[in-house]
Amino acid sequence: MTHTLNRTGLSEKRSGEEIVVLCMVHYKNKEKSVRNMTELVRTLLKYNPDNFVGLPLGLSREQVLGLIPKGGIATAVFTDQEVVRKLVQEIKSKDLGISVVLSGLFSDVREICESAGLNEHTTNYSAGVFGKTSLLPDYLTLDITTQCGHALVSRHYVKDVVRRIKRGKLTAGEGAELLSKPCVCGIVNKKRTEEILMKMAGIESSDETTDDLTKEGDVGMSLKGEVS
Amino acid sequence: MYIDQEACKRCVDCIPVCPVGAIKTAAKKVVIEYEACVECGVCRRLNICPQGAIKQVDPIPYPRILRAAFSDPMHRHESTDVLGRGTEEMKTNDVKNEFTPEVIGFSMELGRPGVGAYFRDLEKITKKSITLGGHFASYNPVMALMEDRNTGALKKEVLGEKVLSAIAEFTVPRQRALEVLGELIQFANRELETVATISLIARNNREDRHAFLRELEGHGKIFQYVPYPNGKVNIGMAVAGGRP
Repeated sequence: MTHTLNRTGLSEKRSGEEIVVLCMVHYKNKEKSVRNMTELVRTLLKYNPDNFVGLPLGLSREQVLGLIPKGGIATAVFTDQEVVRKLVQEIKSKDLGISVVLSGLFSDVREICESAGLNEHTTNYSAGVFGKTSLLPDYLTLDITTQCGHALVSRHYVKDVVRRIKRGKLTAGEGAELLSKPCVCGIVNKKRTEEILMKMAGIESSDETTDDLTKEGDVGMSLKGEVS
Repeated sequence: MYIDQEACKRCVDCIPVCPVGAIKTAAKKVVIEYEACVECGVCRRLNICPQGAIKQVDPIPYPRILRAAFSDPMHRHESTDVLGRGTEEMKTNDVKNEFTPEVIGFSMELGRPGVGAYFRDLEKITKKSITLGGHFASYNPVMALMEDRNTGALKKEVLGEKVLSAIAEFTVPRQRALEVLGELIQFANRELETVATISLIARNNREDRHAFLRELEGHGKIFQYVPYPNGKVNIGMAVAGGRP
């Protein structure tokens, strides 16, 4: 369902900026795992994620608990590594038999796994984007649009929101909220999106660590792949 | 999707939300370009039109329904019963053990990010992957489109359908993975009319958990790419509480 792999703009310089937690039941086990999945979703929500599956659709936490476990997959965005560390420890202690994927900087995930005594079982790496890359928008726009793995956040919508921020019709936070709505999986990091929008709109950020948001050619974005 | 012209007040607020830019003005009307629309449903789901003028044909006829199946994450794939593009890939590998230490999994996602792709582009990749010895995952909606699993040819009637993205998933023996990756990169840059992300799935070696990442970094110096510093890690939680 959600494909958080190819998000651009994450950097080792901003460790812990986001970790997406994804829980999935193998399709053969879906029916018999509803109770455990419900417990897992309840645990995810207990740690107050910044965004989660169903939130962009306006579902309440109770509705999420009622609906999502039957589908066998749940997602939540966290912006505090320590919170994820505690969450993972708790899920581990419950031994629910459901797969958990952490999506973020490999260094962040490694720290969490090591502290929890967990095995990094299987890793999904991105080599980048290839083919007709001239069709892509600019890097900062991609840093927002690639947060939705289903590509439902439109580059034109980003441009429109930036225009409205520049005209004083929206704050960057309001713009981030709007741009998070098309992503029904709830995996857009609204805090990061707000920082990127401020940069795009030419607004000073109060957070010095965001000064190094992606520049062309930065790590986390490879677009050519031609043989040298 | 289409716009009910009697209901539309031409406020044009819906135009920017379309991921593929299919909503346009033409002859003083706001219209959804039928060929460009991938039936992702974003314009309707956002409730951006206070008049309710954005509508969807119901039912969408075959093969156009494939646009919704691959582009609208609220649409469940009949072939796999999974929402979205309908694949579990490595997310449940600690249960299914599809990706063993002997193989590397490839996911080649056509149309991503944010460009869209025709199935004719996907067919180029399915055919090429088979010539490279790729073994296709059976539990993937793309397999339901395949007419000939020996050649990778897709059903002719689907080739003209456009989607936000579609994923070709296959495995190759680990020792051939970088050679196959290099071939695919060159092929994609030469042949595709759209973009494609390429990702690789590796079962971790307990003694050296990111050995494959280092191999990729070395390979990237030759083929001019830098593997992302971020990605997805299945942390083995389904196996006895995640014991290493």
